[in-house]
Amino acid sequence: MNCLLEVDGVSFAYGSRSVLDSVNFRAEQGEFLALIGMNGSGKSTLLDIVSGFRRPEAGSVVVSGRRQEDWKRREMAQHISHLPQSIHADLPFTAEQLVGMGRYPHTDSWFESEEDHRHIRTAMERTSSWPYRHRSFQALSGGERQRVLVAACLAQNAAVLLLDEPSTFLDIEQQLHCFSVLRDEALAGKLCIAATHDLNLALTYCTRLLVLANGVIAWDIQTVEAHDNKAWLELFSKRLQIGKTPSGTPWVWYQ
Amino acid sequence: MSTTPQLSFVARYSLVLSLAVFLAAALLLPWVGAGSISLSRVLRRQEPDYEILLQLRLSRTLLALIAGGALSLAGTLFQAMLRDALATPYTLGISAGASLGAVAVIAMGWETFLGIPMTWIGALVGAFIVLIIVIGGAFRQRQISAFGLLLTGMAINSICAAFILILSGFAGLSRSFSIARWLIGSIDATSYTSLAVLATVVTSVSAMILSQARNWNLLAVGERWAASRGVRVGSMLAQGYMLGSILMAGSIALTGPIGFVELIVPHLVRSRISSDHRILLPCAFLLGGTLLALCDTIGRIVIPPAELPAGAVLALIGGPYLVWIIRQRAPAEEI
Repeated sequence: MNCLLEVDGVSFAYGSRSVLDSVNFRAEQGEFLALIGMNGSGKSTLLDIVSGFRRPEAGSVVVSGRRQEDWKRREMAQHISHLPQSIHADLPFTAEQLVGMGRYPHTDSWFESEEDHRHIRTAMERTSSWPYRHRSFQALSGGERQRVLVAACLAQNAAVLLLDEPSTFLDIEQQLHCFSVLRDEALAGKLCIAATHDLNLALTYCTRLLVLANGVIAWDIQTVEAHDNKAWLELFSKRLQIGKTPSGTPWVWYQ
Repeated sequence: MSTTPQLSFVARYSLVLSLAVFLAAALLLPWVGAGSISLSRVLRRQEPDYEILLQLRLSRTLLALIAGGALSLAGTLFQAMLRDALATPYTLGISAGASLGAVAVIAMGWETFLGIPMTWIGALVGAFIVLIIVIGGAFRQRQISAFGLLLTGMAINSICAAFILILSGFAGLSRSFSIARWLIGSIDATSYTSLAVLATVVTSVSAMILSQARNWNLLAVGERWAASRGVRVGSMLAQGYMLGSILMAGSIALTGPIGFVELIVPHLVRSRISSDHRILLPCAFLLGGTLLALCDTIGRIVIPPAELPAGAVLALIGGPYLVWIIRQRAPAEEI
């Protein structure tokens, strides 16, 4: 498998508050990584850095063998798509217009081509947001908005998908569906990294867990090994227990 | 089912309609005024009809069309950059800077320099100084953010407004009246040379803004959103602020600070036609120009021989209209 992402010694601080302190990890094509950690542990900051939105104070990010600073902004957008934790879409774009923006890095034409529209429709159908494509984004419920935003990332057709809490606001069925779609993307040869607080979604769908704590990757474990090595779980709460479902998937519950 | 034909149809239809309305305003409004003009006398180049139409009303209508378009376009641009449907170039200090420059020269009693009205020079210099201060103030950690622009712009706005009040207070009665009159904003007949300069600047700056329409779409959603879709956010914001400021300064220099057009027209186009800047920007320009020209025409026929300033007519029509629009909106679509 190709190594798509190498994060080496990345550090970042907001003023005097250090958030990331020499973060290292590598990720390959076909992997679905769950980026987990407590509130304020630096998950969103790390995704911002990998996407190129923020520059690290130290360390480097290498994407598909090229240092991040050697990529042009648009070239990077064709390669990496990023779903931010929240957006303030005060302007009344329709759901379809927002998803269509995922195609901008791929074309110079004034309006989207037939091929772009095929990508938009496929992405919206995969997240079940196609039926309300003409509705204003502002008029959608939180869950409907989230499905549109995930569709926008899918429509970008990038090799690396960075998603900051993609299952926020989704009902349980849609949470499962969302992670299932991301797993399919990984199986199709992409790299997906999702920051999430839902440990069971991560254990069920992701291939690997990156646990951020104290500014570093405290644990980097394959999901299948998560049950055998329970120490990572104590970072979240002493009340958490881990077992296995009848199908053998690790499962977390709290006492 | 493909959605391409529908989008193209909406785009084509609204653009063609807006252009038709704009051209109709340019052709018809110069004929409307306190005194009637005879077509046959104009064709025979007979005075005073020919002179009134060509030297007074046509230049005035063209100025309203260009300035109204520029103000409306700048409003649309700043609303996208700041992600706020109520943001205007007035929020960002540029018009306050231009106004302060013009008010300062009126207060000093300076009238012309090399034949150029000093209010134009004052407005351009004032806007330029504010532009430098706001860009400098918003520059933080090697980047410019929309939030930084907004905060710095609002602070400069307040400072300029305070200086305008001070200058107005010390200017004496007649100059103070001139300042108040200028601050309402009005469209007056102007030379075709000035119009040509303004038209050239506005057309080229508008074309540059329009060419980045997709980037304004992305910035209107969010800075992270835009960055991860290929936009260099900091330089795009600086570019947008500078281009919008040139439009504002050029228009305000010739007309004074006319408000509302940059708020109402983008809002109208966004809610009735499209919020996609590829359609929104050209439609806002064409309809903004038309609206200001129409208000100027109403201002000169409503109480002849006296005239109401276009800025006052616009505020009288625009204020209630804006309230009506807000009341029409669904709760989930609050501004």
